[in-house]
Amino acid sequence: MSVAPLRLPFVSEQNARTISRTLEEPDWLLEQRLEAVARVAELPAEGNQLFTPYLDLRAVRWESLRPYTETGMASAALDAPLPPGASAFIRIDGDAVTARALGEDARAAGVVIDTFADVLRQRPELLRDHNASDATLPVDDAFAQVCRAVWAQGLLVHVPPGTRLAGPIVIRWSPGAAGRGLIARTLVTIGEGARVRILEEQGPTGTDAGDGTSLDAQRLWWGTTEVVLGEGATLELAGLQEFSRDTVAFVTRQATLGADARLRWALASVGAELHKSRIDNLLVGRGSSVQQVEIGFGGGSQLFDLTSYTRHIGEDTTGDLLSKGVFTDRSRGYIKGLIEIQRTARGTDSFLGEFSMLLARKSRSVTIPSLEIDQPDVRRASHSSSVAPIDEAQIFYLMSRGLDRETARKTIVMGFLEPVVARIPLPEVQERLRGLLEEKWPAAASAAA
Amino acid sequence: MTLTQRQMVDNDRSRFDFKDEIVYLTETKRGLTRDTVEEISLLKGEPDWMRDFRLRSYAHFLQRPMPVWTDGLDRIDFDKIIYYRKPSEREEKSWDDVPDQIKQTFERLGIPEAERKFLSGVGAQYDSEVVYHSVKEELTKLGVVFMGTDQALHEYPEIFRKHFGTIIPPEDNKFAALNSAVWSGGSFVYVPKGVDVPLPLQAYFRINGENTGQFERTLIVVDEGASVHYIEGCTAPIYATDSLHAAVVEVVALKGSKVRYTTIQNWSNDVYNLVTKRAHAYEDSTVEWIDANTGSRKTVKYPSIYLRGRNATADIISVAVAGSGQHQDTGAKAIHLAPDTKSRIVSKSVSKDGGRATYRGHVKVAPGATNAVASVRCDALMLDDVSRSDTYPYIDIQEDDTALSHEATVGKISQDQVFYLMSRGLTENEAQNLIVQGFLEVFTKELPMEYAIEFNRLVKMEMEGALG
Repeated sequence: MSVAPLRLPFVSEQNARTISRTLEEPDWLLEQRLEAVARVAELPAEGNQLFTPYLDLRAVRWESLRPYTETGMASAALDAPLPPGASAFIRIDGDAVTARALGEDARAAGVVIDTFADVLRQRPELLRDHNASDATLPVDDAFAQVCRAVWAQGLLVHVPPGTRLAGPIVIRWSPGAAGRGLIARTLVTIGEGARVRILEEQGPTGTDAGDGTSLDAQRLWWGTTEVVLGEGATLELAGLQEFSRDTVAFVTRQATLGADARLRWALASVGAELHKSRIDNLLVGRGSSVQQVEIGFGGGSQLFDLTSYTRHIGEDTTGDLLSKGVFTDRSRGYIKGLIEIQRTARGTDSFLGEFSMLLARKSRSVTIPSLEIDQPDVRRASHSSSVAPIDEAQIFYLMSRGLDRETARKTIVMGFLEPVVARIPLPEVQERLRGLLEEKWPAAASAAA
Repeated sequence: MTLTQRQMVDNDRSRFDFKDEIVYLTETKRGLTRDTVEEISLLKGEPDWMRDFRLRSYAHFLQRPMPVWTDGLDRIDFDKIIYYRKPSEREEKSWDDVPDQIKQTFERLGIPEAERKFLSGVGAQYDSEVVYHSVKEELTKLGVVFMGTDQALHEYPEIFRKHFGTIIPPEDNKFAALNSAVWSGGSFVYVPKGVDVPLPLQAYFRINGENTGQFERTLIVVDEGASVHYIEGCTAPIYATDSLHAAVVEVVALKGSKVRYTTIQNWSNDVYNLVTKRAHAYEDSTVEWIDANTGSRKTVKYPSIYLRGRNATADIISVAVAGSGQHQDTGAKAIHLAPDTKSRIVSKSVSKDGGRATYRGHVKVAPGATNAVASVRCDALMLDDVSRSDTYPYIDIQEDDTALSHEATVGKISQDQVFYLMSRGLTENEAQNLIVQGFLEVFTKELPMEYAIEFNRLVKMEMEGALG
């Protein structure tokens, strides 16, 4: 069985040319868009035969979605207030950059946080160095290539070699008005030996979050995070997806790691009707390592479709991936993963864990933790998966300590998700995530009762 | 000088393979058409419903695309295959009547000897027809039926028709459709209510003759409270061009019954072995697939158990050894469809000399299958760095009180273990052989003793190769 390509009216050569002209792009960028348009027409919606049975786009009201083709050319002035504790900040809502700020340490280090359009005018080499090739997005992924073809907003985060920042770089994305969609790219380049934290927040637009359950006019957020880590660089990237429920989100993330580079992802998804994500970790440099923890808490009819690839290419690389889902009501999790150990990758240590907790009879968990191994000279290559209800022995223990049954259940579920929550860098955002998870609980509790 | 793992294993399969010159009395033309299907049915004197079943299957085979989730199947040339040949005109009743030439082949396979020991019955398949068959008197007295599937179609039409094609319908997959269109031979087993078959039933399957496709069809029906152990093993001569083996095995385990089905697959390295095996397990029954694959060029086989009745149990042990040029694409499926059902899957694979071992598995807990317990354990051993190992597990859970666990590891032979064993006086080769045998023991310990010995000998020969 193979899956048909995505047929989307807004992914067309004409549309790509219009956007490119509006943004006054150089020829090489237009060519890149046109190449991607051609790829989208050819590529199946899911290119990996392993995962084709578990692609479900039925929640998307394609006909209701009109992505932006014109976004503001200019970045906002660097005069917004910094969120407490942050070193740099940008907020993009639909077709506009609505706030931007650089802390003193970021400014002194030469950190750039700017739209592609501005970067192209001022320092085009920053983009061309990394972005002129295919290298930052998977060429075999239709969803990634849609972004490459018709992105309307691009964001560059550039961190020079050796940079240390006191606080995280905070990026806030919102999809814009109902019936519209934002297709965007984020390119993150971290120089040699730099050490930074990034917080990517994907949240509802402005104040009209409402209950967001109207599905007549959906919102679309379709974006990338393209990370290039130089030798010895360290990046901690936390992501929090809290879109309103009328949103469908497609997220492609890819990281390429240089020698001894370290990357830690901590990703939480609670919002959106459909959240489809793919993460590719390319461990190219010797001694590079990635740690990824990811959680989803689903309610209602939400679907979290989370795919991770760990590709071991260099020697002595380490991958440690953990995905956890909690599902209630009729919500579903499709958690798909593949560890690939290429022949060149001697001395690999790789683990992939996919764990689910089902809190309601109509919820569903699919886990596919896969391995493809061409080089047996490994320190470790293993995966593990489990699906289980809340452990009665744990409930009993907590009740013996004075908690009532419901509080005991909730405590166990929150503990199951805590490894990601604890890794969100700003205390304020960490608390917000805890709050979001707790908000999901009453529904979970009544569904299970 | 130490011997590297790669030098160590050079597998000369010819020692297992032999062929005889046989004069075939009846065979169809090469290639597959509607006429071929009609001709097979006519030659066998089948009832209309079976002919119609074959034709319906053939139609589905034509329209069904080739599976794309595994590779290499496009090399099969369906036009080069002879779909039916009959080596002798009638079912043999006693060993003395079996033609000498065929008998010699069986003797080299060790069947008569095995039978002399304690076998319950022998259904040996020489190409596409059962030529020798014996059921011991006591089994007959118990009412146990063990015969060729073709014969059963005529002698037990009711029970045959009730179950045939219901566990694996022709529309299940392309190769099940092919088998359903041209099937020939295989075993039919019926165990009546409450009967415990005391000894394993065994069938040897043989493939012979260049480009002979072999499409055996096995149907095992175990009635309420009964139990049986069925064993199949096979070997085949080496030829330069590819042979195709597309079997279908259906098992019905009725309430409270116990069925164990053991396979040692050792086809020669030119055979495409594409087998659909499935059991339906009803209330309180237990089904066990014990499945080892060491031969063939490519095997695609995932023994499956559908747990249809409350408190049914599935146990699957799947072992694969992939050497040079081989791809063992094997695994298991446990589908929980009823409450309080349990499944356990254990998979062990060894890849070496550029071979590829793939585990593909599926555990599903369907809505309504409350309180299910499932566990999966996959381990892979890679003996050199030109080989490959893949693990593709699918876990689909739709009940909230399921307890599922899945663990998998891939690695090489531990040098510490080799060193330890060598310090106790073993050569490096002996040490490695012992470690591999230990790795596969979860399978071997489930075999009857003479099979276990034979299987360990096979592993040892595979491991020793050039040194042997």
